[in-house]
Amino acid sequence: MEVEYRETGIYLPEIDLWLDNTEPCPCTWISHGHSDHARGCHAKVIGTPVTLRFYRMRLWLAESDAEPVQQPLAFGQSMNWHGAKLTAYPASHILGAAQLLIEHKNERLVYTGDIKLRKPLAGDTTQPLECDRLIIESTFGLPIYKLMARELAIEAIVKFAKECLAEGVTPVFIGYALGRGQEIVHVLCNAGIPTSVHGAIAKFIPVYEECGYSFAGWTPYESRATEGKALVVVPSHGASLETSGKAIRVAYVSGWAALDNARTRSGAEELIPYSDHADFDELTELVMHARAKQVDVVHGYTAPFAHILRSRGITATAPQRAGDRASVEAEG
Amino acid sequence: MDRLAATCEEIQKHASRLKKVRILADFFTTLNDQEMEIAVQLLSSGPVWRGTTNRTLFELHDKTELKIGRSVLREALRIASCWDKETLSICHAQVGDTGETVGLLMRGISTGEPLSLAAADELYQELFRAATTARRVEILVTAFKKYQPLTLKYFVKIITRGLRIGLMERQVEEAVALACGVPAEAVRSANNRLGDLAQVAIAARRGELANIQARLFHPMDFMLAKPLDNIDELQNTSDWLVEDKYDGIRAQVHFDSGNVRIFSRGMEEVTRSFPEIVESCANLPGDGLIDGEILAWVEGRALNFNILQRRLATKQVRASLMAEVPVIFMAYDLLLRDGQLLLSQPLVQRREKLEQLPLTVSQQFSANSQAELENLFADARARGNEGLLLKRPDSIYEPGKRSGAWLKLKRPYGTLDVVITAAEQGSGRRATVFSDYTFGVRTESGFVNVGKAYSGLTDDEIKELTKQLRAASVEKFGRMMLVKPSIVLEVAFDGVQRSTRHKGGYALRFPRIVRWRKDKRPEECDGLERVEALYRTSVE
Repeated sequence: MEVEYRETGIYLPEIDLWLDNTEPCPCTWISHGHSDHARGCHAKVIGTPVTLRFYRMRLWLAESDAEPVQQPLAFGQSMNWHGAKLTAYPASHILGAAQLLIEHKNERLVYTGDIKLRKPLAGDTTQPLECDRLIIESTFGLPIYKLMARELAIEAIVKFAKECLAEGVTPVFIGYALGRGQEIVHVLCNAGIPTSVHGAIAKFIPVYEECGYSFAGWTPYESRATEGKALVVVPSHGASLETSGKAIRVAYVSGWAALDNARTRSGAEELIPYSDHADFDELTELVMHARAKQVDVVHGYTAPFAHILRSRGITATAPQRAGDRASVEAEG
Repeated sequence: MDRLAATCEEIQKHASRLKKVRILADFFTTLNDQEMEIAVQLLSSGPVWRGTTNRTLFELHDKTELKIGRSVLREALRIASCWDKETLSICHAQVGDTGETVGLLMRGISTGEPLSLAAADELYQELFRAATTARRVEILVTAFKKYQPLTLKYFVKIITRGLRIGLMERQVEEAVALACGVPAEAVRSANNRLGDLAQVAIAARRGELANIQARLFHPMDFMLAKPLDNIDELQNTSDWLVEDKYDGIRAQVHFDSGNVRIFSRGMEEVTRSFPEIVESCANLPGDGLIDGEILAWVEGRALNFNILQRRLATKQVRASLMAEVPVIFMAYDLLLRDGQLLLSQPLVQRREKLEQLPLTVSQQFSANSQAELENLFADARARGNEGLLLKRPDSIYEPGKRSGAWLKLKRPYGTLDVVITAAEQGSGRRATVFSDYTFGVRTESGFVNVGKAYSGLTDDEIKELTKQLRAASVEKFGRMMLVKPSIVLEVAFDGVQRSTRHKGGYALRFPRIVRWRKDKRPEECDGLERVEALYRTSVE
């Protein structure tokens, strides 16, 4: 199947379907609810029910804009689209994140979107797929990135929070507004640690609760009432807390925390290298499992990862697309 | 070695220096003497060659360092990890540290055998003995495949001489003291005499610190003078010996029967930059350690520090540069003579011994009144020097201290009103506030930077300033941010020098903040022309 890598997204001309197009278009598949994927006022969008909710929560419509037609596609469900069969499978990345299998004229194409292989702290676990052509991300596509499994991440998060609280210092976790933020809150609540949550993260919690994740005992963040609580904030807010002069210790929960230099870059003392993206070994495993005749690497260390795959005898390329690196650095 | 690596990793996590010292001390207490010696050696100056050659102390100083380049380490990593050069080079670029890259990439490949400190030391010895690059690579490849990744990370960091865990020699000394139950000062002093912390650590364990004799050819700590802002604060001017305060390079000359080494205050060896000083000290009788100042010297006067700096800029000094910028060593103290340490003798006695040597020795004056002291200050300034040094005649030499037995009277060259253009978060206690300020002066086309200041404000002022700076932030890079020029500071400084780093072409020397000028707007701050004028007067 023909695949066009365009600046705003990936386009499949034979079936007139976009994948994660960030600019308004007739119809796009949305792989997950992060703002660099779920955005733009499209005529029609296809995604898992949870992803569509996140998309709609983020979407701001002008008066002249028409409400996008939202076509839900639950995990394991299929639909026909211009002669192709579309099926959604879990991608572990964040709640609702999905891979899309496109079957068209005897060819199986899989678009992973943002993906990880291992079980996430909250959300469904990835099912690796076999296909003829694989379009995969490579945020952590270098062998230096080996990240924590969820059990170790839970242990590290809880241990850090307890240590700080025992010392009378406020533990601050920096997470992203959607995904990492809720995962950290979920872990802290489960451990019975009083947790105060920044509004940008809190607003998505109800969606997680509806999906069966418990968030017992968290409170909205108030700058005056932080004592004895763990704080979960977004990166921009973390930076202002750091310069507030309060007695805090900051933990940075991110795949980028795999390197010591994250300490100076983030200003955090504790580095917890846990991500909602696959690390190098998971990415390799996904590719090996796919047994694809062709692998297209998009997002992240595309050229080096494609190079590594080629050295292992896999036909892999890194299609050129403007603006890749910057958008992934933002949400590792 | 595995536990040393784990300890380093733990130390890295803590910003508090006290905590770092405690963690390290706890580790030391678990070691036997031999392990302790190796651990301290590796953490302080790095692996040392234990071969049995009859080298003199003079030769030992700079030839025992293990010199393995990054290219050798990377080649070993390439072979051991089976990654190609292209992949390795992008990994190195992301990580920014060879040891850490080795540790990250050998995960899942190395068999993870334990490595004891003694075995690690033997491995370093093997690298010392290796005659060829190929052999060194071979040794490293074997090691990389064998030991635990975290151990390898620090094994390599020790070779590249950069642990990057925020641990200075001072903290290693404190940890040794804490682990051995002796005062930190005793360890510090013994290390200053011997210049070998590993041996000092063993002596500390055995309670034999006092027996440690002084040794030449390693830099010792300099005694420092406390700033005196106002002559009126001085009770009895006749209690002090007065010398000119020169604006040169503070240095130590170590000599022993023709062998000479020179160390600067940064503990750097600068012998090669000043061959004429080496020559003039080569004929000194016996052995000794002289404290003094290297000066660019023409017709009995010291030249501007800027001119002297040209001598440090090149590795090999050409004859033409020696002729252009002639230097002398102005001796003012004697710390060691014929094997005997003189630190605890009064200054007058040290000077007596110093003056017996054929050297240029600083002139000493006395002042019977504050008025006379003022005159001496004016004379020193007229000779182009910074100001005066005042020393108690009975002062002992206190290495690394600013005790008040020596005073310096400098008086700022002037003050300038400048505007903050960028701010950076500090470290330690000041990690959470913006405490380091880059500042500029006015030009027709905006502000140009002329320096950076850290000190002078109270904690409360810094807190308040942090709030205002955050509101004025234009762009952030990590811990640093550019701000809209809006806040005016008054800074004092000791001189103006040419600078290629700053756009305006000038930098203030030792700027410090006098006060926050809340009453001034940025367009009222000083202009570049005032800085230019100050520079011209200082050169002429």
